[in-house]
Amino acid sequence: MLFLNTALEGLRLGLCYAVLAMALYVSYTILDFPDLSVEGNFPLGGVIGTIALYRLGLPPLLAVLLSFLSGALCGALMGLLHVKCRISKLLSGIIVMTGLISVTLALTQLLSRGLTVVYFNYIPNGVRGFFNAPFTAGFSSSAKTLYGVAVLLVFALAVKLLLDLFFATKAGFLLRAAGGNEQTVRTLGQDPGRIKMLGLMLSGGLVGVSGCLYAQMRLQYDNTSGAGKVVIALVAVIMGLSLFGRIPRVRPTTAVALGAILYSLALCFFTLIDRGGIYLKLFNAAFFAAVLILGENRLKFHTGWLKTLFSGKKRGGEKEETTDA
Amino acid sequence: MLELSHIRKTFTAGVDSVRVFEDFSLSLDAGCFLSVVGSNGSGKTTMLNLICGSVLPDAGRVFLDGRDVTALPEYRRFARVGRVYQDPSAGTVADMTVAENLALAHNKGRRYGLTRALPPSALAAMREEVAGLGVGLEDRMQVPVGRLSGGQRQALALLMATCTPIDLLVLDEHTAALDPKNAELLMKITDRIVREKRLTAVMVTHNLRYAVEYGDRLLMLDRGGIVLDARGEEKARLTTDDLLPLFGRISIECGN
Repeated sequence: MLFLNTALEGLRLGLCYAVLAMALYVSYTILDFPDLSVEGNFPLGGVIGTIALYRLGLPPLLAVLLSFLSGALCGALMGLLHVKCRISKLLSGIIVMTGLISVTLALTQLLSRGLTVVYFNYIPNGVRGFFNAPFTAGFSSSAKTLYGVAVLLVFALAVKLLLDLFFATKAGFLLRAAGGNEQTVRTLGQDPGRIKMLGLMLSGGLVGVSGCLYAQMRLQYDNTSGAGKVVIALVAVIMGLSLFGRIPRVRPTTAVALGAILYSLALCFFTLIDRGGIYLKLFNAAFFAAVLILGENRLKFHTGWLKTLFSGKKRGGEKEETTDA
Repeated sequence: MLELSHIRKTFTAGVDSVRVFEDFSLSLDAGCFLSVVGSNGSGKTTMLNLICGSVLPDAGRVFLDGRDVTALPEYRRFARVGRVYQDPSAGTVADMTVAENLALAHNKGRRYGLTRALPPSALAAMREEVAGLGVGLEDRMQVPVGRLSGGQRQALALLMATCTPIDLLVLDEHTAALDPKNAELLMKITDRIVREKRLTAVMVTHNLRYAVEYGDRLLMLDRGGIVLDARGEEKARLTTDDLLPLFGRISIECGN
């Protein structure tokens, strides 16, 4: 029972992080932009969503949309710093992340003065999010978790499908080109800076959505919820792509989402051992290092049998290269 | 079609400054295929960069198709200019497939919006198009460009640069990274495309034979100046043997 519950918890958390991982897939994998602003953007999405639910009384879906907008704004700001002011990728992320700490603190004051954690259940009249009353009225604890999994699955799938659709469009092609080779974008008569900005806005928006879903799911908004989220997202992306990325017909969005779920399961089972949560970050760091060390070499090698299984034919190097759709 | 008028360009790095052009002018008629030779540091590549807007002149003006484009940023100029680089990895996107690269190139000059980039119906026409290059790309449409040979990649870059209407094709030592056989093949393809599409082209090359054999005007540059400008009959009669003494002299003066 404990095992099942932990697995469900992990799945729920993983679906939430899947959205984050897909956001980082856009910025990190496509645009080669290790976006540190995630650490500020994630709680911002949470606080914007909570304000929308609690202070403005908006429906939860609208709260999610607002958090997308706030995240896109952060992405645009970081893009401006990098593209227009020529500040390096890493530093523009750090600048935005640092500034956002104050922004989220100030916004939290709209929820409760002097506090940095807001518990939905303690708020009089309640916060009408996706994961609490009236939606979950009368649900047992496990039913609530299952319901959470279902709602987050819908969101993760929607984000995945929309991203897949986007990457099949001309704008999506151009975004991939901008990450791969800026000069080619220029020779196509397009401004690579503008394309990058759009990509960072898309990615930032999804980070905001993930932060908003995370706060709603946990029924609490925590100002420090951004800490360590970059590592979580990067682990999910790198592990997902190296484990599942080479399997035919598995899109990279699916691969990074699966990476996020796998990693969250590992996290949840680790907290069973590490009750106090003291070693959680150490676990994160060690896991990240392990994924980086193994990711590029051995994992790919070991998943050879998976590729064979999914492609339904023996995979020869030459054969794959000349395959035509 | 192309006009460079009284260009002055100095590159400064710290206290060192190198004057590449003092007062450089060049005008090129529509439909002309110009080959440019010259030793290292003669200003060939700078000339191309000035044409494309990759570097801006200190003084002077650049005209393309009668329009003053001196202040136009590089990416805007490329709307009507195609360029193939020396580096095979520069003109194509390595992680994208041949078909995806071509789809991007075919849309040049139009909006990159939210419509489908690569409908399956477009593949057949694309395959036919690359088959015309004769480098075997038609069987590798779904292969990421990074896995192609240098020759295939340059041929694709050339096709991408010329598959939409352009005013000027710029070839920046585009055969230099290839082995002699592939370089020869790419030159033949280039010549055919330029003739078929009646393009105006500027080709910088280190290969004197290519400069003599291809194109209908030849320019030799040395230290920012034109030392030879042969066209029409004169160019047709020109042989590598005529060029070598002159080229040898400027190369020796420059120390290579």
